[in-house]
Amino acid sequence: MNLLKISRKYHRYLMLFLGIQFVIWTVSGAYMVIFDIDYIHGDSLIQNHQSKINPDKIHYPLTSLAQDSLIQDYPNAQHLTLGMFIDREVYRFKQDDIQFMVDANTGQQLSPLDEAAATAMAKHEYTGRGQVLTAELITDNPPFELSSRYLPAWRVNFDDFGSPSLYISAQTGLLVTKRHEFWRTFDLMFSLHVMDYEDEDPSNWLLFWVVLFALIAAILGLVLTYYRIFKKEPLQVDTSLIKESN
Amino acid sequence: MSLIKTIHKWLSLLVGLQLLIWLGTGLYFNLMDPVEASGNEYRVRVVEPNANLSQLIEPKKVLQDFNPAVTLSQISLLSKPYYLLTHDKALYPYFKNQYTLVDALKGQQVFINEAMAKQLAIASYNGTGKIVSAIKQSPPFDDRLKEKNPLWRVDFDDDINTSVYVDAGSGRLAAHSNDDKRFVDIAFMLHFMDYTQEGSFNNVQIIVFAIFTLFFALSGFIWTIELGFNGQYSLSHLLPKRFIKSKAKIVQVLDLNGEPLHNISLSDHENLLDGLIHHDIALPSSCGGGGTCGRCRLKLTPSTSTSVKITAADHQQFTPEELALGYRLACQHNSDEIDSLRLLDVIQAEKHQLVLTSSEFISPFIKELKFKTASGEPIAFKAGAFMRFFIPAASGNTMPTALPLALSQHWENVDQTQYQHDSCSRNYSLANSDLPLDGNHSELHFTIKLHQAPKTTTDDIINPGVGSHFICNLQPGDSIDAVGPFEEFYAKPLSDKSMVMIGAGSGMAPLKSLIEEQLFKFETTRPIHFFFGARSEADLIYQDHFTSLAAKHDNFFYHPVLSRPTGELASRLASSDALQLIPSTMTQGYVQDRLAAEFGGITDNAAGLTNIEFYLCGPAAMMTSTIEQLNAYGVANDAIAFDSFV
Repeated sequence: MNLLKISRKYHRYLMLFLGIQFVIWTVSGAYMVIFDIDYIHGDSLIQNHQSKINPDKIHYPLTSLAQDSLIQDYPNAQHLTLGMFIDREVYRFKQDDIQFMVDANTGQQLSPLDEAAATAMAKHEYTGRGQVLTAELITDNPPFELSSRYLPAWRVNFDDFGSPSLYISAQTGLLVTKRHEFWRTFDLMFSLHVMDYEDEDPSNWLLFWVVLFALIAAILGLVLTYYRIFKKEPLQVDTSLIKESN
Repeated sequence: MSLIKTIHKWLSLLVGLQLLIWLGTGLYFNLMDPVEASGNEYRVRVVEPNANLSQLIEPKKVLQDFNPAVTLSQISLLSKPYYLLTHDKALYPYFKNQYTLVDALKGQQVFINEAMAKQLAIASYNGTGKIVSAIKQSPPFDDRLKEKNPLWRVDFDDDINTSVYVDAGSGRLAAHSNDDKRFVDIAFMLHFMDYTQEGSFNNVQIIVFAIFTLFFALSGFIWTIELGFNGQYSLSHLLPKRFIKSKAKIVQVLDLNGEPLHNISLSDHENLLDGLIHHDIALPSSCGGGGTCGRCRLKLTPSTSTSVKITAADHQQFTPEELALGYRLACQHNSDEIDSLRLLDVIQAEKHQLVLTSSEFISPFIKELKFKTASGEPIAFKAGAFMRFFIPAASGNTMPTALPLALSQHWENVDQTQYQHDSCSRNYSLANSDLPLDGNHSELHFTIKLHQAPKTTTDDIINPGVGSHFICNLQPGDSIDAVGPFEEFYAKPLSDKSMVMIGAGSGMAPLKSLIEEQLFKFETTRPIHFFFGARSEADLIYQDHFTSLAAKHDNFFYHPVLSRPTGELASRLASSDALQLIPSTMTQGYVQDRLAAEFGGITDNAAGLTNIEFYLCGPAAMMTSTIEQLNAYGVANDAIAFDSFV
């Protein structure tokens, strides 16, 4: 058997087993490259407001001898930030491993958020026009798309194209992540692409063996291409005294 | 289905190499060490002590002193507390952000200077290297394609050339990078086709390639399914024979005329094309069994033809009528499917090694080649038979070697070029009989026309006839493999009937063979008429040979006809009647004209049409019109034998 025949035979047999994975690779790969990654990440779902802090509205100081202050009320506060919650100036900090959000005007503790506040925050950040469908407080067993370090968090689902969900931390009132079907599909595509259906980890043995054989199959395929396209029998054949076999 | 195959073939050319890159880099990502790939080999987590908030300046005051901010964050850098004001807050730290860093104890703006950047870098580094440089750079960064903020790049002189990147606005530790990471980045660049270094896999080129590759994979997938349905996958085909207890399958092989040749034993599920080769039956094939060249044809016997499936390749190569008659491609079927098969041109395929004894030009473009067998054993054949030569892959030249000077004028307009050709097989008719002559032991003679490449208007270079050029350039003493003889065109059983042979151009060879067989081997006295058409005197091969045969044998009549005579003969013909009816004398016109002129006399001498056999060999157009002409005279089709060359 010559190289052409060997290549054809093994290309065919390898592809009998690998063909479906090639289809999966190309479908998932095409999906991942065609959809812009920033769109996939839901960046277009988010307003990313640039509302500035108005210092004049801050009447609850960090430290004060004369009045109630944050240090006084929360003596172990750490990782302090000052920012906005919708239209209010708020302090966010951590004390004894618990996140707090406190109104910087009044000193009123705003965390944990109730459904109304979480929904208001989600609507404030959401760029779409769909209505809030449901809001659900997740305290344990987060879905795959939400890291457990953000718990507890409100999942606010919108009635819109791609079923977008915004996750609002119940403790800080911050938007922690967002998802829509295109990202969820992307996650699925990625796990299919790397053949790890649980952790999306490319370093797995299944992928190793399949890629190894796929590489052999592809090289054999290129041998076929070479024969079929570049070493093709010349178009011109002897026409005299040739008895073509019918 | 053929569209699917065409798509698959051409897409493989387009995306093939990139596919190898994808698979190769994919394998690398699978195997690479995740720590090396992250660039964090010498990175340590920086733990800053918590600031004592009661000592800090009031945030309100900082916000009043500086530009309006979206957030104010209390952070610690190198164990000192700061307030980081973010004026423009992007979704991600590596997107473009606008910061002011303020000393949280003094309330003064602080800038990340070189000394501070170096200290921040060292704090995150546990390697043995020393800092060699610290440079503040603006995007883009080779190591951090997505980063949009100005960064300090702090280089260490360790074994892997670690670079630490510190955000020049916020003091944030942006990343570690090193040579391992840079190598991974190259692999990612290749995998993502990110040749313009956008730091993204959403670039135009990969989208285009992804779509092409998608169609490539789908076409291959459909092809695979089609192969599966056609039974092209079997365990016995995949595994070496010794692993399989193969049952022998006896298949009856019939010759062209349906006569049983022999029974051959094929293994279970053995491909017919491959199986026949093992029994010295070499069907022609230029694609090697891919079902694309359509040459390995055979015909199934009526009992089995209806039950044997028709593959897509069969559909491609045969008309529905032919399929209904049982025509199939041998490469598409296996021994399980059939009990007997009929060969379409191979009657016996004995392999011979032939040695060239002489090679002479007999016209500007036709050579006479003489071979003997390397074994010395004569080959017996019926006149009119042909041999199939195996032309090996070689390089050729459009100009023949050893071209006599006298003929060089005919080759002047041929461009001399070199070309490579693949191996192939070519059939050439024998031009003599198998009777040993003049003490020579059974030579095999061939008259082979050197086929020139057609002139094209495009720039495409088309090779000349690779088979004829190869074989005509052999030197005496060279040997070549051939199988045969294949006897498809031959004289009817010896009788007293008249023979009329009509040939033109290089279709002379099998007729010459028949004539010599009749005159020399059988020494017949039956009338033999040979009508031979050529273009001009230069093309009138074997003129002297036939003229002298006609002189020597009273029963042999030679009728050469020239369509475009040149030189002296043209002027002589012009001065007299264009159709002189003198045997063995050249006339001007076509063989059909000469035949028409002579036909009455020949029939009279033979006492009726039924006593004449006709043998034709020449270009298709000449044969078609001659057959029509003979039919018009009332000649039955079974009295006409013809040898086609296409």
